[in-house]
Amino acid sequence: MQYQSQSVAKLYFIAAIGLFVGQILFGTILGLQYVIGDFLFPEIPFNVARMVHTNLLIVWLLFGFMGAAYYLVPEETETELFSPKLAVALFWIFLVAGALTILGYLLVPYAKLAEMTGNDLLPTMGREFLEQPTITKIGIVIVALGFLFNITMTVLKGRKTAIAWVLLLGLWGLAVFFLFAFYVPDNLVLDKYYWWWVVHLWVEGVWELILGAILAFVLIKVTGVDREVIEKWLYVIIALTLITGIIGTGHHYYWIGTPEYWQWLGSIFSALEPIPFFAMVVFAFNMVNRRRREHPNKAATLWAMGTPVMAFLGAGVWGFLHTLAPVNYYTHGTQITAAHGHMAFYGAYVMVVLTIISYAMPLLRGRAAANSPKAQRLEMWSFWLMTISIVFITLFLTGAGILQVWLQRIAENPEPFMVVQDKIALFYWLREITGVIFLIGLVVYIASFFVGGDEEEATA
Amino acid sequence: MNSSGTDNRQNAWVRPCTAVWIVLMLLTVAVLAAGQAGLQGGAIVSVILVTTWLKTQMVADFFMGLRRTGGLWRIGITLYLLLVTGLIGLAYRMSAG
Amino acid sequence: MKATTPASPPRRSPPGDLAIWVFICAELLAFGVFFVAYAFARVGHVELFNESQLLLDRFSGALNTLVLITSSYFVVRAVAAIRKGEATLCTRWLLAAIGMGSLFLVIKVTEYGHKLEQGLDLGYNLFFMFYWTMTVFHFMHVILGMVILAAVALKAHRGGYSAQEHTGVETGASYWHMVDLVWIILFPLIYVIR
Repeated sequence: MQYQSQSVAKLYFIAAIGLFVGQILFGTILGLQYVIGDFLFPEIPFNVARMVHTNLLIVWLLFGFMGAAYYLVPEETETELFSPKLAVALFWIFLVAGALTILGYLLVPYAKLAEMTGNDLLPTMGREFLEQPTITKIGIVIVALGFLFNITMTVLKGRKTAIAWVLLLGLWGLAVFFLFAFYVPDNLVLDKYYWWWVVHLWVEGVWELILGAILAFVLIKVTGVDREVIEKWLYVIIALTLITGIIGTGHHYYWIGTPEYWQWLGSIFSALEPIPFFAMVVFAFNMVNRRRREHPNKAATLWAMGTPVMAFLGAGVWGFLHTLAPVNYYTHGTQITAAHGHMAFYGAYVMVVLTIISYAMPLLRGRAAANSPKAQRLEMWSFWLMTISIVFITLFLTGAGILQVWLQRIAENPEPFMVVQDKIALFYWLREITGVIFLIGLVVYIASFFVGGDEEEATA
Repeated sequence: MNSSGTDNRQNAWVRPCTAVWIVLMLLTVAVLAAGQAGLQGGAIVSVILVTTWLKTQMVADFFMGLRRTGGLWRIGITLYLLLVTGLIGLAYRMSAG
Repeated sequence: MKATTPASPPRRSPPGDLAIWVFICAELLAFGVFFVAYAFARVGHVELFNESQLLLDRFSGALNTLVLITSSYFVVRAVAAIRKGEATLCTRWLLAAIGMGSLFLVIKVTEYGHKLEQGLDLGYNLFFMFYWTMTVFHFMHVILGMVILAAVALKAHRGGYSAQEHTGVETGASYWHMVDLVWIILFPLIYVIR
């Protein structure tokens, strides 16, 4: 750690991991509810558990991104953060607001929560992933503005690098597109149309810029390859991301009442969305092959190489599987979508946050470069446990999805939804078992922070 | 490397490109003329597609310098150009019944 | 590449940076998908495509082809100039190419204006969906190419390139030729063949 103010990142990373645990716990509850419908009913109904699972994911990734920004921006710009105090204050505001929101979901019926938080004044609640009470959304905007102010001021007063600019562009885009969460037209088509401006343009647009910037930063650190070379690739990747991703939004506009041409635009542009991820794989492996040093933090290198591979598979390949309109006509809203969602979120965003944590945490905790070999070994075990689990979760959900599409939509005598759900229960059981293994992987991951602390650092 | 040697090599590179430029212009005018004359049908489409492939191949070989690069790069781009014009031709054949 | 493996024999890679070639390949793939999708979409709507095609201004399309080919040739001259170490000449050729690029944009925007006046917009029919998508997509590439050429021209003007080191010029040139190449297919495809 070169700059004192980078230490605020530690808070963010710890919170991120804590919320990650919550997300996975609710994931295992949900997985069980798929096969035992009244599990934990009426305390935690399925819809509430799902809301908590997805909202926690987004919130902890945001904590991760913010932590990453607070860590890498001072180092990139070679200057202390504009205001470390603001960063700490915003952390607590965000954490408390987030915790209160989750408690609200769990303790009060959703309609009651809407009433309590004055949703009538500016109705924004009730949309998938954007279920947060309006006051929470306003809080998110305030936190985001404060955060962006802090980061932007830091970049402005320090060295300007491509990585810092790309990260900044991604973070500003994240904030700007979130504003569409406040726009809820009465017309259902328009409502869905703009809802995707938050959801799609986040995960298939600006978040990819954040992902690219973080990955490039870590690769510079662990490989020692020239900044010039890495930045050049970063430009190519973000250009490809924006070219394909923005109009690629059209793959959500097939069946919601938008003009027919979206079936073409969405199919063609989104079919090309795997390209930037493929470029990322080539990029990461190329850089590691051309490394000029052996970085002692093997675990971080592993995460950095795993990220593009899993992102390519999850976001690229599994996305492509059902992105063409004629295919999506059958697969829309089935378990195929769930399969894609799980691997894409893990491969792209979970892994990149874990990459930066893996690289930065040892330094934030006073190590010179890396953890002890023992801690790294445990961390790498957790890498494989979680990654292989997510692969199998994806495969089982894909199996469930294919069967579902067949029985429910393609077969000559299509069967009702719930009948089909019973028939694919085996896949749900298998998914639940793998989910538990993922949870074990996560426990191993956390354990890696508490072992080998008094041992010598690993050396290259 | 003396400068006159470099000059000669550069001239040897520019002159074919100048020829290519003129050919490309003429072919474009020819394609326009075919269009203005209202020519259509399978044979005309084939001729124009082959012309298009030739034009793009010339751009790749001379302007982009792949003639000198050779190897997989040139083969790859050539295959791409043949594939795209070929598939367009196939689709036009299908639509002709 | 050059820094890490000094001992290895020179690789036969195309002019310019490898990264731009990865980008060019991705772009060619994207345009290729469009062209083929257009051709096969036409199979089901031959009448519609043939009738709609007559509403296009073929002359303006051809003129733009000539403009782009010429600008590409100017870029060739710019590369030749810098290989001889003539930075000023290189800058002038690049500016000429950028000028031709601007002319392309002007002609294209005029054409767009006429189409919009006639109400032939993106949603008019399937043919015009392709017309707008492909040409606007290409239009954006012309702008990006001009930005790249402008950056190269600026650096050339400041003496950033020499007869020995001019990868940047070749990189920008390769991208610009790709923009040209794609239009050479686009023009006959949507304006002419029927």
